[in-house]
Amino acid sequence: MTNIVETYNLTKVYNKTIRAVDDISIQIQEGEIFGLLGPNGAGKTTTIHMLATITRPTSGTARVGGYDVLKEPRKVRAITGYSAQEAGVDEYSSGREYLTLFGHYYHLDNRTIRSRVDELLELLELSDAADRLVATYSGGMRKRLEIGTALMHRPKLLVVDEPTLGLDIQTRVRIWDYIRTLNKDGMSILLTTHYLEETDKLCDRVAIVDHGRVVTLGTPDELKGEIHGDVVSLTLPVEEPGQQAQTIEKVRQLLSAQPFVKDVQPTAEALNIYVDQGGVAVPQILRLLEASGLQVGEIALARPSLDDVFLKYTGRKIREEKGKAVGARAAWIRRPR
Amino acid sequence: MDQEAPIVMLNGLWDTWYTLVRYLRTFVHNPFWMLILLIQPLVWLVLFTQLFQSITTLGFTSGSYVQFFAPGLIVMLAVFNANALAFRLLNDINYGVLVKMIATPVNRYSLIVGGLLYIAVTWVLQVFVVLIVSFLMGARVETGVGGVLMTFLIVSLLGIGLTGIVAAIAVTMKRPEPVVLIANLITLPLMFLSSILIPAYLTPQWIQDAMKFNPVNYAILAVRPMFLTGFDWTAIGQALVVCGVFALVAIFVETAAFRRFGG
Repeated sequence: MTNIVETYNLTKVYNKTIRAVDDISIQIQEGEIFGLLGPNGAGKTTTIHMLATITRPTSGTARVGGYDVLKEPRKVRAITGYSAQEAGVDEYSSGREYLTLFGHYYHLDNRTIRSRVDELLELLELSDAADRLVATYSGGMRKRLEIGTALMHRPKLLVVDEPTLGLDIQTRVRIWDYIRTLNKDGMSILLTTHYLEETDKLCDRVAIVDHGRVVTLGTPDELKGEIHGDVVSLTLPVEEPGQQAQTIEKVRQLLSAQPFVKDVQPTAEALNIYVDQGGVAVPQILRLLEASGLQVGEIALARPSLDDVFLKYTGRKIREEKGKAVGARAAWIRRPR
Repeated sequence: MDQEAPIVMLNGLWDTWYTLVRYLRTFVHNPFWMLILLIQPLVWLVLFTQLFQSITTLGFTSGSYVQFFAPGLIVMLAVFNANALAFRLLNDINYGVLVKMIATPVNRYSLIVGGLLYIAVTWVLQVFVVLIVSFLMGARVETGVGGVLMTFLIVSLLGIGLTGIVAAIAVTMKRPEPVVLIANLITLPLMFLSSILIPAYLTPQWIQDAMKFNPVNYAILAVRPMFLTGFDWTAIGQALVVCGVFALVAIFVETAAFRRFGG
């Protein structure tokens, strides 16, 4: 198997201090759907901007299809399609004009452009709106058109930044279908996301990224497999704020000492207890807490998710991080709280 | 690499063409914008000639003020259009269009030159309006078609220089507010520190000194005689050199801004 993407110690430092991407080394195989999963500000966008030759690495190297992104950017661009996180469409042109422009920018001949535009409008279900101004398009239509521009030259690698961010569920499912279809036709796909579901449904392999570093990498099943058994999530009744922390710590110590408990991770609102068999563990936990005079708020049992994997490696949940963007891109819009 | 050079050049020319076409197509979708663009110089022509009429009584040697001001307005249009491309670029930055273009193999110079040509085209259209209307108001171009073409050349170079600098600021700052401030800060002084509105000998000495550093003034000094008396080849030579160098510097600065754009 050849690698479509290889990065070696890829690093991007902004303003000499902010390490947006910190020493990332990954290999993505041809034909793979590879996901970068992490909270906002984890360095996902910067990473794919470096692969799409938009941003220059501070140090380290990256190759796409065997071409170095710094030494042969033109060749990288010719085989890479880049789909942006934000709108990425021109309101002043029609959908057909916009796709055609990108066909020209990829230096395709006129006949190829005409047939590709029709083909993509069909695939992305935009044929009816093709000659309308993009200003009249809905969010989902814009996103589909935007992905279309990245497909005009049938790239070997499609790089998609948050393919379904802010879209309703029907549109999300449709975009997942497009991505699968493209992948079946042999296109390698690198996507970033902070939706666990997206990673689970689409990706062959996932790298979980936090603070610009890859914290773990594998297939979604492998990663979830690292957390054997089940997750029991336990909340305590609301008490005085100071008391709460003490109680949580007490419960954590009590449960960690039990042989059937593999790990206990406190989260913002609960304790996640990792056990082999949830069905057996839940009554045991309840008995233990009762015996120690501790009360239980809620108790729930779940299969481990990628969120638990993220929690295990970073001590935080992905979802808690939403909106609290840290890192280079957010540095100048951050406000004091 | 050398074998690819002709293909790269050819692609670059096509990239420039399609970039220009994309910008111009805006007017097809928004004919109203075109109308405003063409009315704007008319309004100025009428307002300024009425406002400054009496200057001709101050020992003014150039005949009617329309005759004096029409070439000035043509140069002024280049100055006041300097931020037009910047706003198109800011729009593309804001909507995430520019970042997508940068990820394609499109030639970087083509993105810039295509935009600058778009501004030049809109400016040439405006100049035609000024020429026709000032002709109707009694002004004449002494040097005929040759003078008009030379005017287009000089003022296009000036316009490319000014537009390129403001566009570079826009691409670097990535937001409209500082661009508005800076564009306002430089365009009015550029106009007042030149003999666009009033002949140089009617201004204080320090302003006449400052004019020597203003490319706008070199343009007007070359263009105005072509309307009033005849070709002043010394002034034309100076204007071509000053505005030509200014345009090249601007393209260079804007390219540098584009290259830094992605970080």
